[in-house]
Amino acid sequence: MGAGAPSGTSGPSTLTPEFLAEWRNAAYNCYSSGHKFCREVCPVMQVTRDESHTPTAFHANVVAMEGGHLSIEDVASDYVHCTQCGACELRCPNTLFTGDFYRFRTRTVDLVKAMRTLAVDSGIEQPQWKEWNELTERFRSEPVLNGTPVSQDTVAAWATGLDLPVGGETILFCDCEAAFYRTSLPRAVARILQHASVEFGLMREQWCCGGPAAEMGYAEQARRFAEHNVADWRAAGAKRIIVLDPHDYITFTEDYPRYFGEEFDFEIVLMVELVAELVREGKLELTVPIERVATYHDACRLNKRKGIHEAPREILRAIPGLTFKDVDHVTQWSYCSGAGAGFAIERPEIAAEIARRRVEKAAELEIDTLVSACVWSERPLTEQGAGRQQPIEVVDLMELVAQAAGLEAD
Amino acid sequence: MATAGLEASAVDELRAICGHDYVFTGKSARYNRARVPAPFPLHRWADHVPDAVVLPQTAQQISEVVKLANRYRIPVVPRAGGTGLTDGAVPLRHGILVDVKLMNRILELDLEDRTVTVQPGISMLKLNEELKKHGVIYPDNPASYPCSLVGGRIGTSGWSLIGARYGHTRDLVISFQIVLPTGELIEVGDGGGRKVRKSSTGYQLKHLFMGHQGTLGIVTEATLELVPRPEAEFSAFFTYPDYMTAWRSTGALAKSGVATLAGVVLFDERKLDYLRRDDEAYIPQPPEVKAVTATAMYGNADEVRVGAKRLLKIGLDSGGSYLGDEISQGDWASRHDRYATPQHGRTRSGQVALMSWHCEDASIPWTALPKVREEWHAIADRLIQRFDMFDDWGMFAYTNGAYKPWADYLTEIDIGIWEMQWDDESWTAWVEAKRDIAAVAIAHGGSISACHGACREGEVDLVPLELGGGFDVMKKIKRALDPNNIMNPGKYLLDQAYEKEEVEE
Repeated sequence: MGAGAPSGTSGPSTLTPEFLAEWRNAAYNCYSSGHKFCREVCPVMQVTRDESHTPTAFHANVVAMEGGHLSIEDVASDYVHCTQCGACELRCPNTLFTGDFYRFRTRTVDLVKAMRTLAVDSGIEQPQWKEWNELTERFRSEPVLNGTPVSQDTVAAWATGLDLPVGGETILFCDCEAAFYRTSLPRAVARILQHASVEFGLMREQWCCGGPAAEMGYAEQARRFAEHNVADWRAAGAKRIIVLDPHDYITFTEDYPRYFGEEFDFEIVLMVELVAELVREGKLELTVPIERVATYHDACRLNKRKGIHEAPREILRAIPGLTFKDVDHVTQWSYCSGAGAGFAIERPEIAAEIARRRVEKAAELEIDTLVSACVWSERPLTEQGAGRQQPIEVVDLMELVAQAAGLEAD
Repeated sequence: MATAGLEASAVDELRAICGHDYVFTGKSARYNRARVPAPFPLHRWADHVPDAVVLPQTAQQISEVVKLANRYRIPVVPRAGGTGLTDGAVPLRHGILVDVKLMNRILELDLEDRTVTVQPGISMLKLNEELKKHGVIYPDNPASYPCSLVGGRIGTSGWSLIGARYGHTRDLVISFQIVLPTGELIEVGDGGGRKVRKSSTGYQLKHLFMGHQGTLGIVTEATLELVPRPEAEFSAFFTYPDYMTAWRSTGALAKSGVATLAGVVLFDERKLDYLRRDDEAYIPQPPEVKAVTATAMYGNADEVRVGAKRLLKIGLDSGGSYLGDEISQGDWASRHDRYATPQHGRTRSGQVALMSWHCEDASIPWTALPKVREEWHAIADRLIQRFDMFDDWGMFAYTNGAYKPWADYLTEIDIGIWEMQWDDESWTAWVEAKRDIAAVAIAHGGSISACHGACREGEVDLVPLELGGGFDVMKKIKRALDPNNIMNPGKYLLDQAYEKEEVEE
């Protein structure tokens, strides 16, 4: 195209007063700061090096849109470039140093979600996300099997032979990726819970948590899925929900309370924290040596979004035989598997490069095993780890725990 | 004269050179590369938007882009981190913005001759993450350490917080490769060899291309100094009952001759008031504390240990009270994050307003610091009285000389600006205030800028006054190297080089 002179300088804002009421100050706070310290921790920016993919741009766009310089059409595809890992929020001086005092926290993740929602609501859809969410709508679970349909008939097939009840006060929610793809994880989780005498049941009819739809901008769909799941929990008499995946944990502790307010009175229990507690209290003994040299991949949604980094390390240190080469959780702010927020669906090549770099960091430690506590990270990291000259195996922390507890794998 | 706007054929050629995926003409790519963290005329954003953005990956591509720009007479603006504070990376005439961030590889690590050769798009943070594994570091340490890039450090002739010990960018960059304004690729250093630190051969061209603010080309590769990763760090903060005592103490510390001394920083009372605006600040100190001096040292443990004792004695003997290890170490460690906080902005009535940080920096001799301080605050106060959108965030003075920190100081007055309020009147008043601040620096034997450069509106008007005959040489060099005024036109008043009388001279 012939770009001509710069144009579009005085159009009306495409942002509603409600949107501006929520985001105007946050946008100016970032715009005024200009530190850009968020940039080099951003997993996407580290690969693309494109200034339009930075939290700075994500916030400045609000300022430009309010001024009529840019519209949602101009920026929608930029907001695809985020895994919603939350590193930028932690690295923001506005959060780090004065956040508590001013009761302000940089919320880039929420801004990205809001902009993606605005795009979808404006009829601007990303093709892969559109298809993904249509399929999720149809099958009630995410289409994680690369073309092989998932189905409500098989959503609990992972539990075959484990003799798990349905319903009860404690429900184990099984993430889509775990339910259909990495079934070794939920099986390990179920065996650990049984072994530690934790009573639990499955949902009558589990749908996707809705979190990924919300992350990609399909807010209405996400809400409907949430309503279904909460109704199912209530019908089952549930009071507490055990989650085995950090993404679900975010959805249930952040999105659902926002949807349902005080009515949302379920206790949400993260499996990793529960296991750490069981080990600490002697209710789960890890006695079978695991002769591996491992490092731990801090799941973004645990470490960066929720500040959970001690529990997985506590468990790893309790596993006999394991040589654990740790990398501190702050260094890992800049690490990511690329798997979050639908990014890998819409930009698979960049996501794969993010995963490759993460595995490279692990390889520098001369390990044979990369332990994760996020099932979504495990497929891309496995693909990169397996392709190496000296392969690195990616295992879930719960799979290791089950093994160390002497629980038979399938 | 270069023209604004790109012909379709020029865009096609850019894509042929850089690859289709690395040429952007969409609006968000261009609007997000129009500004830097310096105060920006938000009400005139569109005036600074480039016509196209390219992300080249090789020096050859940059050379071809610059040659194309000469053929079409299109301005070229280089951009590295976009973190500079003198608008070097802000396009004044639209054109092609050459963003070097994708060129961020380490090309060669030479632990024998102690150099690392890098592309211009790497940050010091990322570079040092790699270097520290080998027991060495590249000690260029600006406030923007986590995000500024090597290319921009050369373009601005940057200043380092630990420059008294290790030198500043010009001392740490041994040589570099640069695409000239007409597209030729050359290597410049002190002399010839890429890894030679000191040479007497020919003109000292390295310095010519340091701090050119994109007006003389685009750096495509740089060979940098490696120093041993310091075994020990020591920082000490002292408080004082009045500014003049602190100023004398700062002078005594800076003149100590301690070789491991990396810098001395003087905070004035208004800076302390600013830092006290939140209860997390390190200065929960009684109101009788009117000034602070900070020092830092790096080196081998045995050297730092004895140096620290000497510095502590000087600080105490000259009227300071030591703030303690925890505060000293903690605040020095957070030096990169502390330098501006939008929420600390206050209107005249004390209301919080989100303000941008403007740092007006000058080089000022130690003897002139007290007087400059008075005059600068008076300028800021007049501005605040006229427009309830400015705020005085106080002053710092940092030892400025590399290896010889005892004389001149990087002196800065930080002014908060509520940029949502800009209009033409307030912008004009601001530009005038900046010119006044620069005039004070020159009048006291200083220089307009110690670290950012001096090509923003206002201050730039006084560059000919500061440089005298040197500015005429600048114009001749600019015209000789950039006959079509392609490289970052409009900066540093260098359009004057192409005016009729200059050309005929």
